[in-house]
Amino acid sequence: MPGRSSSEREALARQNAAIMAVFERAGFEHIAPDIIQPADIFLERSGEDIRARTFVFNDPDGNELCLRPDLTVPACRYHLNAAKNPAAETRYCYLGTAFRFPDEALSPQEFNQAGLEWFGGSDPVAAEARVIKLTLSALEAAGLSQLKVTLGDLGLFNALIEDMPMPARWRRRLRHQFWRPQAFHALLDNFAKPPAQKKTSISAHVDAVAGQNALNAVSQRLHQLGLPLVTDRDVADIASRLAEKFADRSQAPLDAAMVKTIERYLAIEGTVSDVPTQLKSLKGGKTFAGAIDWFERRIAALEDQGLNPKRFQFNAGFGRELEYYTGLVFQVEVEARNQPVTVAGGGRYDDLLSDLGAPQKIPAVGCAIHTERVKAVLP
Amino acid sequence: MSEAVLGIPSKGRLMDATSALFEKAGLGISRNGSERGYRGALKGMPGISIAFLSASEIAQHLREGKIDGGITGEDLLRETIPPTDENVSVGLRLDFGPADVVVAVPACWLDVASMADLDDVAEQFYRAHGRRLRVATKYKNLTRRFFTEKGVTGYRIVESTGATEGAPAAGTAELIVDITTTGSTLAANHLRILDDGVILKSCAVLAVGRKAPAFDDLISRLSQFFSRS
Repeated sequence: MPGRSSSEREALARQNAAIMAVFERAGFEHIAPDIIQPADIFLERSGEDIRARTFVFNDPDGNELCLRPDLTVPACRYHLNAAKNPAAETRYCYLGTAFRFPDEALSPQEFNQAGLEWFGGSDPVAAEARVIKLTLSALEAAGLSQLKVTLGDLGLFNALIEDMPMPARWRRRLRHQFWRPQAFHALLDNFAKPPAQKKTSISAHVDAVAGQNALNAVSQRLHQLGLPLVTDRDVADIASRLAEKFADRSQAPLDAAMVKTIERYLAIEGTVSDVPTQLKSLKGGKTFAGAIDWFERRIAALEDQGLNPKRFQFNAGFGRELEYYTGLVFQVEVEARNQPVTVAGGGRYDDLLSDLGAPQKIPAVGCAIHTERVKAVLP
Repeated sequence: MSEAVLGIPSKGRLMDATSALFEKAGLGISRNGSERGYRGALKGMPGISIAFLSASEIAQHLREGKIDGGITGEDLLRETIPPTDENVSVGLRLDFGPADVVVAVPACWLDVASMADLDDVAEQFYRAHGRRLRVATKYKNLTRRFFTEKGVTGYRIVESTGATEGAPAAGTAELIVDITTTGSTLAANHLRILDDGVILKSCAVLAVGRKAPAFDDLISRLSQFFSRS
């Protein structure tokens, strides 16, 4: 459709004003981040999947710019620019257009996002519960009811494998693949099997680092083969991965009981209030116990906000596609014509501000409401 | 019913091979002088008219439904039209124009054999340098589809229109996706194909879109000259 009629425009504006009133009343500063953003930040942060959906163009000097595909990164950039002390607690809300090449139903190429970002602060659990509460209140103010909330928590998975004896590089790879169920299971299978002696095109290079300084071995080999060193990967990068590959050859496989624990964890699903019992039945260590404790405090914080955790669903695998989140993730769905429609989502992303240039890690939690979808599913 | 339009390459090796094949099948291609030679006919196949186009235009015109069938490289076809598109299918694989679309990394990356290695390197590279691995290619759709299928996300595409194989040495990309026949250009540029890095084993194809049945006769005439179909 080439635009909105006067009455459609007005209906959407009225709905969104109701949403923003909830955020503003709660003390969130209403900001308006820039629409046009440097492309690099989004593209480096999001990877090619988002790049494929982002409107990218060049300015006359050849700099790559984009129309913001999302408002979280623009809000972070605004904050890093505007705040005297970026680590001091700051709470923002916004309403603005985001732009993406459409990939599914109910995804127009320009749509209005209403959202919250809560940076810093001393009580992260309370902040998470508050953000969920405000998201739900805003959706209700817009006229929705029967909201279905699903939570996930990447902190639990990270804690679970932290306690398991395995090389740090294996942990790193499992965390990295958590987003992709298929690749994750392939990796887990791989770790559980005795090291394969399958020949690859680099087997000879792995042999070459056996029992000697990998750095020297790689330098020598590059010299012998007459291969110039190109790209920013240096000899040390190449040598350390070859040394890891060599170490993997004699690494004892991951204990079958641990594989089972990981798989049992990933299968956990149920109402949020029942989840701690399920988590405690797993054979986790001290870090995991700490994460369960954190989860229980979250339930208490949700109750403090007047929410009923029995109404919320937990899904251990949820959040796999949302790459910048680091802990809690949540989404809100509404049934419309027997189809669940995601109208809002959010979570914790403690690495994003430091990735964008903040001098230290700053805790951050936020949400975004897809206001056109809200409009579309309103009874 | 109006004539079905078949796009055939208007220049280069693809054109020569196409003409030779049609000749062998007893189907002379003639150019219509009246339309400045951009249109033509097939001797003995009155239902088909010919459009002379470049190989990349043929794929685009097929996607847009401007022509009903065409002979082009499978690489260009699949870059322009995904295999999931039900409107266009490969009617016949031809025995010329063989070439592989491959993922190739600098040969000095002694630690990288597979796409899984590449994914691991991409993550480490991002942590070390704060940026994604850059893939130089003119096949951005084939690249995206293949990398997604292999679970590799930590990269970005830099579009390259010529001399892609020089990008890593020039410092404009870390790796490339490109077409190769013998691999000698890659080797000369100190690049190595990943063990599981063949995206597509391409050859010339006769692709059909709308009015596909209009090409049934042509396909059966041509297919006598191939063992594969």
